[in-house]
Amino acid sequence: MSVDEKKGPSRETIDREIEAAVSSETTGIDPEQADEIREKIRRRVRAEIEREIRIRTAAERREEERKVREERRREKHHEEGEMFQRFNRNFRFQHMVMFSSVIILIVTGMPIKFPNFILSRFFVNLWGGINNSTIVHRIGAGMLIYFMVHHLLYTILSRDGRRDFILLIPMPKDIRDAVQNIRYFLGKTADKPRFGRFSYIEKFDYWAVYWGCIIMIGSGAFLWGESIVLKYFPKFVLDIAHEMHSDEALLATLAIVIWHFYNVHFNPDRFPGTLMWWHGEISEHEIKEEHPLEYEEIMAKRAKQTEAGGSG
Amino acid sequence: MKWRFLCAVIAVLLGMCAPGALPRAEAAISLEKCTLCHGKPEFRKILVDGKIRELFVTADSLKGSVHAKKTCVDCHFDIGEIPHRERPRRIACTHCHYKGNAEGAPQSDGYLAYIDSVHGKAIARGNVKAPLCQDCHGSHAILKAKNEESAVSQKKVAETCGHCHIEIYAQYKTSIHGVAVAKGIREAPSCTGCHGEHKIYGHLDPKSTVYATHVAEQCSTCHGSISIMGKFGIETEQVETYKESFHGVASQFGSRTVANCASCHGTHDIRPQDDPLSSVNPKNVPETCGKCHPGANPNFAVGKMHIDAKKKEAGVVYYVASFFKYLTICTMLALIVHILLDMYGRTKRLRGEK
Repeated sequence: MSVDEKKGPSRETIDREIEAAVSSETTGIDPEQADEIREKIRRRVRAEIEREIRIRTAAERREEERKVREERRREKHHEEGEMFQRFNRNFRFQHMVMFSSVIILIVTGMPIKFPNFILSRFFVNLWGGINNSTIVHRIGAGMLIYFMVHHLLYTILSRDGRRDFILLIPMPKDIRDAVQNIRYFLGKTADKPRFGRFSYIEKFDYWAVYWGCIIMIGSGAFLWGESIVLKYFPKFVLDIAHEMHSDEALLATLAIVIWHFYNVHFNPDRFPGTLMWWHGEISEHEIKEEHPLEYEEIMAKRAKQTEAGGSG
Repeated sequence: MKWRFLCAVIAVLLGMCAPGALPRAEAAISLEKCTLCHGKPEFRKILVDGKIRELFVTADSLKGSVHAKKTCVDCHFDIGEIPHRERPRRIACTHCHYKGNAEGAPQSDGYLAYIDSVHGKAIARGNVKAPLCQDCHGSHAILKAKNEESAVSQKKVAETCGHCHIEIYAQYKTSIHGVAVAKGIREAPSCTGCHGEHKIYGHLDPKSTVYATHVAEQCSTCHGSISIMGKFGIETEQVETYKESFHGVASQFGSRTVANCASCHGTHDIRPQDDPLSSVNPKNVPETCGKCHPGANPNFAVGKMHIDAKKKEAGVVYYVASFFKYLTICTMLALIVHILLDMYGRTKRLRGEK
């Protein structure tokens, strides 16, 4: 983290300046009252300076700002309770890169799969014809490849990434959760399954993207370098790549538009969508509802910390 | 009084007959007069460039043609005296052949299409070598296009076009289409089959039937028709497979650089694949593909080009396609059922709560 220390006059000079300003401004007033006012101002200014000095790094300042925001929010919507960080900045950035690239890829790719669809011509002409549209598609592809590399490095190098990856591995519990969830939908049981940090729905989304990225980037690379591929492979290799690219594109698009959009947009709990992808925070109310096991874990950890802090 | 009236009626009737009767008499005379000079077999003129212009015309010249009943001055109407001093102007067929003409000439708007065509425009620009009607249809021996002897019949039109487009004619003559036409196959395309009859445009003109993005459509008028191709045992799936390939899709979206039928198979020199001169013969594939894909090597010729993933003949591609088909169907079914169940549960709980 970059350190952006506040460089300015030392504490003593600030104190002196405050004294001078306060005394010059309060000369005409009743001395007792003036003292009171001086004391008040002094306290306020000192608190402000203390805060400035305390916040030394950018991360600290962001944390401080978050706290201020949190306080303000809690005044407004106290029913939601505390806000927990669910997705860190890096993760949110990856998601943004991915969805913008996927939108670009769908908009420029689908017209090629369905040239007779009524809007296809519009979407191709939007970029100024098929030649430009293919260039835009390759820009989107570049973004998706970047995302994939970034995410792999994130999974390997970042502590949060490693933790999330392990938590995203499918477990037998997910099958039990899925069965229970369906029983819950049908009204056979009154209890919702209790999810951890990632529910089986989210795990499915994650691995669907993984599978999709591998297929699409792999086959897309073949199609991108078609002249080179044809030099060394028979044509059916390119045909397979073409078929895979086109079919997996449809599957991915349907999964996003139907499944993902339902879960995060059209679902009555979320409609028309939350801003979690932007600020990455989840409210206490929601985390208790959707990820109770994670909430319990956080609480347990906090209790341990305070215990340790209290004893130490 | 009665006599006078009768005389008047006769006079009027005669007057009405006269315009019709008189030219015919005149024409008969003028034909005789024309053949006075033009009827001599050695009547010819040596032009400045040394070429010889045959001017020999007899009363039989129009015999058998569609204009058998016409006479010289019907078309050479600018000849007012004999012998004429100036060279007669080129014939304007539109003198009679326009829509709504009273002569009884076939009413076609072919000439309108011609005026807009590449030939008509060249004439309008003052190119004296560009063809007028008579350059293709013939001057005296004009026959209906359906007549095999006509200069514009399916069999002969290539030769007629070849008068000017000689190199293309040479290529076409030995191509699969040229050979088929020579064999007398009615379905095989001659020049006009692809380029159109009167509305011929340069291949870079978007109006042209052989403009880059129109080529596939033009070829598919025959090659997409099972009833035509069935006769010769040629498959029609090439059309569909091309349309579904990236080349075909990009072409439909207006790309002029992407490959169309002609880019690979050639234009006038289309030959069957097993012909060593064919551009799609495995030996020539590297060169053909290399026009667009730099560094194409003989490996480009390995495997089938036109492939239909929906058919079992496609081999691995078919199985990949089927795998993805069932994967998509199963996944989406499962997901949609999950969504519907979720909705069902929500509705039920909502009602229960209320």
